[in-house]
Amino acid sequence: MEIRLKNLTKCFPGNPKKGIPDTYAVNALDITIPDAKLVGLLGPSGCGKSTTLYMVAGLLEPSEGEIWFGDEDVTDLEPEKRGIGLVFQNYALYPHMTVYKNVAFPLTNLRIEEAVKDKDGNPVMDETGKPYIKKRKLTKDEIDKIVRETAKIVQIEQYLERKPNQLSGGQQQRVAIARALVKKPRVLLLDEPLSNLDARLRLQTREEIRRIQQSTGITTIFVTHDQEEAMSISDEIVVMKLGVEQQRGVPQEVYNNPCNKFVANFLGTPPINLFKGRIEGNKVYIGNEVVREITEKDVPDQECTVGIRPEGIIVDPNGSFTFECDRILTMGRDIMLVAEHPEATTNTKFIVDAFVEVSTGTVKCSVKPHKCFAFSLEGDELRII
Amino acid sequence: MAAVAKKKGGFLDFFKNLFKRKERVSADAGERNNWKAWLYLAPVIILLSVFTFYPLINTVVIAFLKDYDYTTQVSSGFTFDNFLTVLTLAGKDASQNLVYKWNCTYDAALGSWVYNNGTELVKVYFQTDVLKYALPNTMIITFVTVPLSIIIALLISVCLHSIKAFQKIFQTIFFVPYVTNAVAVGMVFAVLFDSQGILNYIFGLGTYYWIDQTATHTSAMFALCVYIIWHALPYKILIFLSALQNIDKQYYDAAKIDCAGKFKTFMNVTVPMLSPQILYIMITSFIGSFKEYTSVVGLIGSAGTGGTNNMYTIVYYVYDCLKAPTTVSRGAAAALMLFVIIMIFTAIQFQVSKRRVHY
Repeated sequence: MEIRLKNLTKCFPGNPKKGIPDTYAVNALDITIPDAKLVGLLGPSGCGKSTTLYMVAGLLEPSEGEIWFGDEDVTDLEPEKRGIGLVFQNYALYPHMTVYKNVAFPLTNLRIEEAVKDKDGNPVMDETGKPYIKKRKLTKDEIDKIVRETAKIVQIEQYLERKPNQLSGGQQQRVAIARALVKKPRVLLLDEPLSNLDARLRLQTREEIRRIQQSTGITTIFVTHDQEEAMSISDEIVVMKLGVEQQRGVPQEVYNNPCNKFVANFLGTPPINLFKGRIEGNKVYIGNEVVREITEKDVPDQECTVGIRPEGIIVDPNGSFTFECDRILTMGRDIMLVAEHPEATTNTKFIVDAFVEVSTGTVKCSVKPHKCFAFSLEGDELRII
Repeated sequence: MAAVAKKKGGFLDFFKNLFKRKERVSADAGERNNWKAWLYLAPVIILLSVFTFYPLINTVVIAFLKDYDYTTQVSSGFTFDNFLTVLTLAGKDASQNLVYKWNCTYDAALGSWVYNNGTELVKVYFQTDVLKYALPNTMIITFVTVPLSIIIALLISVCLHSIKAFQKIFQTIFFVPYVTNAVAVGMVFAVLFDSQGILNYIFGLGTYYWIDQTATHTSAMFALCVYIIWHALPYKILIFLSALQNIDKQYYDAAKIDCAGKFKTFMNVTVPMLSPQILYIMITSFIGSFKEYTSVVGLIGSAGTGGTNNMYTIVYYVYDCLKAPTTVSRGAAAALMLFVIIMIFTAIQFQVSKRRVHY
């Protein structure tokens, strides 16, 4: 099921008398989410990603715009009629029900349509010649079968008789996913599903989510503020800021080619290093050092912000770049240097391969040109190159 | 029984010993300062002892005293006769001699119980008010008003919780009965249920006697239950409303996503989430309605209609027993039995609730 958001806007009205302006949680969002893909909505807190999700779920009413599921306009449809599964941030499992009852609960409300058959098993026709369809509840055996199937997918079969508070965070999370999946929704929505888990469990569970999504083939929207999480499992990510979409694309593509300073800064741990710089004669300068020569196009001379990814700075005795290294952080797989540079806006961090010998003090470095971006100082701080 | 409480010797001795024990010199600094703690607690302990613990114990003692007269404080030993009298297992003949029921026979010709004192048949009079009126009335009041008022309060609080406009005003309106006096409200209801009252006028019932001296037991009980339920609502609404406000909205969102209808959400989300409060309300209002008394006084103004005691409740009976010095021990026995009944019902509720209450 393809999901299309057209000019989706959510405005929380302010109070003009008290001078409180309207707040746009989501502003004119246009996104198309392809069928059977997992899309990550990514942004810092307060950027409107959860609001977008709740509007897709139908729990919030959009101020403007439309939501389409395939060929169906669901903008004014009640949440229960949209055929969605939603996993809440804190799971919202019913604490008084066992896992089994939690998972079975959506099914007990479900009405399936079935053609009425006569004694010989032939479908009964109505006056217009169409088969006579009757709605009915699922039987206990049918519910039991579906619950056990779903439990198998998310691997919670052995916990079915427990209460949610007798489960660990990861298990609860899987129960919440099972509850969302059990009625075979057209769309699966995940609201920061990993934020209550510890680091190791998070890695494990996000793989799990990816596996479940791929095995069921349900179009999934995944909201998170953790860029690593979003990048690792999404087919596509949408980076948002203050209710406005900044950039959309395949995760690696967005990381390699950020469209503005916000996206460049938001993606990547440790974050990108920012320097005051300038462009002069198609060369990017930091201080007096040239970090990149521009060959692709002609760029007018201007002041700019230069961003270099941590992995784009290499310790090189012949390099022209000089840093004052304060600290060396050993991270196991590689070493991170925390260094200072007179033009840097923050402490500069860069990653060094573990086998390179480094010591604190003056470090000479060179820069990988394709890891280096220049951003305009004006407006949305768009990327120049 | 607080009014009956009389100071006895030994009570002060208890405190003297208490402080003596604490004066011991001890190496432990905490224990050395214990007397301070007792000093701080003293006002409460003294008040509770005088007005709660002592009357409580004294009631139990009085219930077992034989021929007890509370003005003279004289009794002739211990007995179970008071309980037997209350339960109509013992009665009195015309010369106030106590006779046990198992020594009597029912004489259809005389229309009363009699016993043979060796020379002649003597009529025996049993105290029937408790078994005939007080106990059934108390049970009716409890098992009609408690469930009904809980259900109505739950519905009202869910409605109040869901409305946005004037919520605070409605909350205040619904809470007003709680701060008004039961007797005053009873008088208002008495006017409403009067044969010339507004209720008969509205429903065109002519001059139906609800609670007057000519009224039947059923109609008086109906009026009483309506009044008790109305008066019991505000506190329950207050408790439920504050509990409702604490239920995470996400559960309702989840129920919506799960396609649960309004009634199903109420039964599967709201009620289980409120179950601790429902249990609390159930236990306290069961206890409260077992002790119902002021509402009868407020509404009916006497112990019954038509010159009988047909609106008696157990506590009303206990109160009537306090009027004569010689019946005090019978009242104490009835109070003690009420206590046991309440204990049993509370224990049952706790047992039943174990599986149904989710904390």
